[in-house]
Amino acid sequence: TPRHATPSIPSRIQPARKPGNVLEEARARLHVSSVPESLPCREQEFQDIYNFVESKIMDGTGGCMYISGVPGTGKTATVHEVIRSLQHAAEQEEIPPFHFIEINGMKMTDPHQAYVQILQKLTDQKATPDHAAALLEKRFSTPAPKKETTVLLVDELDLLWTRKQNVMYNIFDWPTRRHARLVVLTIANTMDLPERIMINRVASRLGLTRMSFQPYTFKQLQQIITSRLNRVKAFEEDALQLVSRKVAALSGDARRCLDICRRATEICEHAGQKGAIGLVGMSHVMEALDEMFSSSYVTAIRCASLQEQLFLRAVIAEFRRLGLEEATFQQVFVQHQALCRVEGLQPVSVSESLAVCQRLGACRLLLLEPSRLDLLLRVRLNLSQDDVLYALKAD
Amino acid sequence: MRRIKNPPVSRYHPTNTPSPPPPSVTPAQNTHSFGSSNSARERKWRHNSEVTLLPAARQSARISLVCVDVFCGSGFRRMLKMPGAALQCSGYPEDKLQTLTERLTCREVQTGTLLSLMGEPEQYSYPSVFVYGHRATGKSHVLLTLLTHLQLPHAAVSCVECVSAGLMFEQVLSALFGPDAASLLPRCPSLSDFVRIYRQACVQHPAQQTRYIVVEKAELLRDMEANLLPALLRLQELVDDNVTVFLLSEIVWEKFRPNTGCFEPLLLHFPDYTKAELLHILSRDSHPSHTPEFYSSYINILLGVFYSVCRDLRELRHLAALNFSKFCEPLEKGEARESDTHKLWRNMEPHLKKAMQSVYLREVSSVQWEQQQVDEKEATSLRGLSAHTHVELPYYSKFLLIAAYLASYNPARTDRRFFLKHHGKMKKTNFLKKHEKTSNHLLGPKPFPLDRLLAIFYSVVDSRVAPTASVFSQISSLVTLQLLTQVGHDDQLDSPKYKCAVSLDFILAISRTVSFDIVRYLYDFL
Repeated sequence: TPRHATPSIPSRIQPARKPGNVLEEARARLHVSSVPESLPCREQEFQDIYNFVESKIMDGTGGCMYISGVPGTGKTATVHEVIRSLQHAAEQEEIPPFHFIEINGMKMTDPHQAYVQILQKLTDQKATPDHAAALLEKRFSTPAPKKETTVLLVDELDLLWTRKQNVMYNIFDWPTRRHARLVVLTIANTMDLPERIMINRVASRLGLTRMSFQPYTFKQLQQIITSRLNRVKAFEEDALQLVSRKVAALSGDARRCLDICRRATEICEHAGQKGAIGLVGMSHVMEALDEMFSSSYVTAIRCASLQEQLFLRAVIAEFRRLGLEEATFQQVFVQHQALCRVEGLQPVSVSESLAVCQRLGACRLLLLEPSRLDLLLRVRLNLSQDDVLYALKAD
Repeated sequence: MRRIKNPPVSRYHPTNTPSPPPPSVTPAQNTHSFGSSNSARERKWRHNSEVTLLPAARQSARISLVCVDVFCGSGFRRMLKMPGAALQCSGYPEDKLQTLTERLTCREVQTGTLLSLMGEPEQYSYPSVFVYGHRATGKSHVLLTLLTHLQLPHAAVSCVECVSAGLMFEQVLSALFGPDAASLLPRCPSLSDFVRIYRQACVQHPAQQTRYIVVEKAELLRDMEANLLPALLRLQELVDDNVTVFLLSEIVWEKFRPNTGCFEPLLLHFPDYTKAELLHILSRDSHPSHTPEFYSSYINILLGVFYSVCRDLRELRHLAALNFSKFCEPLEKGEARESDTHKLWRNMEPHLKKAMQSVYLREVSSVQWEQQQVDEKEATSLRGLSAHTHVELPYYSKFLLIAAYLASYNPARTDRRFFLKHHGKMKKTNFLKKHEKTSNHLLGPKPFPLDRLLAIFYSVVDSRVAPTASVFSQISSLVTLQLLTQVGHDDQLDSPKYKCAVSLDFILAISRTVSFDIVRYLYDFL
């Protein structure tokens, strides 16, 4: 095998199909991985990050910035957009050229691999973590004329946590060196991450340049979808509003919103006759919302066998009797047999009842202890009693 | 869950036609209908999704399999009923089946069920079968005799020997495909390595016959990696080969089932031998110099004594071999003839009763027992193992042990009254809690702190003892001798707690040697 092979994946035999109708085109545009032309509703955040990085590049200094926000609020997309426009500006020679590298905590097997990746992206060198740390230390602390500014993006910062926190410490310490010219942008989900998990010397080096991304409101979500669709007429206005209102009420996650819209187009395509494909209406969106948001526990209980339903009823009866949310299998079994007699069924044996119990445990309707305890294993419900009663009573 | 019930022996239908599938079996459920297709050879088991077919052997085997859906609604328990008979199964030579029937006495029903499950050699069998029953009910004997005698490819592994899964994989591969396949395994093989190499070997040696893997002492599988047992249960699906796994265990399947669920094996129970069956089996190994009737009358006497305490075939066979020479003694002396059953019984019974107390409990080893019979000494004149409780201890160790015993079995509130000179008057009952009033010797020893042990020790020893290092080292050496046990290993230096782990007889003997009347100080014996 060659020593410095560039990895590649086999290419397609045929090129990817162009979207055939309106719905397919809408689906391609609504895909989470398709890069939009512009990022609506994040203009303020974009400007803040842009100004921060630009000023550091212009001055030739370094600094850190911490960006937080719940998933799907456009953190990584905005930073990438900033870097793209900065690179564009550098090409136009409006600002000095800079070097951009990116690492992701989730893509590393071990936090110390961060050194290796940073070094490899900076200089194409391969080294062990310790050696890479030493090399990076040397690089950032010695003065070198004509050194370019480096912009380092650290995604999923919380996964770089180690017991001594030396990886985080180093990453935040390098920008403070005089000759480093390093700008570090860090992204994580929780706002109070520096205060919660970092020791003082790390948190103080991270500094107070913080930015938090708020979840999208329903108007913003609607605007995002409309801008993505970009005059492809595939959705009714009301349907879009319903999706964005529902998602905004729950999480404000733009990815979730896009997923639901794509599912709704699929449902619409499936429902419409060939040739005549209409717009995605309220009913399709409702169906998609049901699919994505409804809990499967209730369906599972409704489709369970008679004995399984009886067992769940026995569990609830036993909880009522004890006044606790936990019972041993032995206690539930007595109730189960009594219920069988009431229902006019053949009383179950212990092993049958235990099999029922463990089947319910395997699909996580119940929480169970290891099966080798048999009669003494403790049984708990994994969902509320009201949900179970609702599911059992529905038919 | 499917469970195979042993069929009643009396019902025998010599039919060649397959029984129609019962109406209760519906394809939508997770059901398996047996014996309804002739082209089952080509088919594989498709679990959980569609109706699966057992090999066609059922029809020609004169075994009608009836599925009875006992469990309403959920299709849980499925019984496999078939009339018991001499072993007959197509695909195997008749004479071999005949010798098998002779060898596996009193297990015809189980053998028949196993044979019908296995089907013809080239047919697909059920992926996994769980065989359970008490110790010495012939589980591995029946299965291994069946497999070796019919010369089917099989691998027998015992989980006691295979301390790691890697050893088991190696044994299975080398037994099924030869040592070459086993040598391909990496040093610490994972399950996926095993499956990969099994599939490779499968391509080189495609299955002509069903391969069998017999796992003995399967209860130890639960303590190995969590994915091993579920993988073995559906190995047929994983390696895509005609392979069946038999799991042998003494405990029931309910204690095996992983919490995440798994493929449910067929359950096959080996019931205990009845007294008549034990008599039949034990009478088979008769002595050549005596008639079979004589030996079976001996076995009858032996069972009369031992059957109430022991039904283990191996144990009984061992006892029968040990004591037979004593039974023959009157014949050799000329005092009785073979037909004098009553005389022989009178000679034998007290001897067997003694054997129950000594050699059966392993107080006296088998060699010693035989030696005794040869020397014609009085049985149990030797001291057994449990009589050797005398231990030589240093003087202060004895008092430490006595103090520990007192601390363990007396409530702490009574210490004032036993060990203080001017304690005032106290009655026995009115100042103790209820649980302290019940006998402490029934509840077992209680933990006590080191301070209390030393306080009792100083009050028990008459002379003045300095708390030197030797006293403390004697306490810790009593712990290493397992005469004391340390409770809760959280704190070794600061206020450790101990329990006394010796019996009353032992401590009485010890206190006699130092002429200390321990019974006077025990609260239970007041």
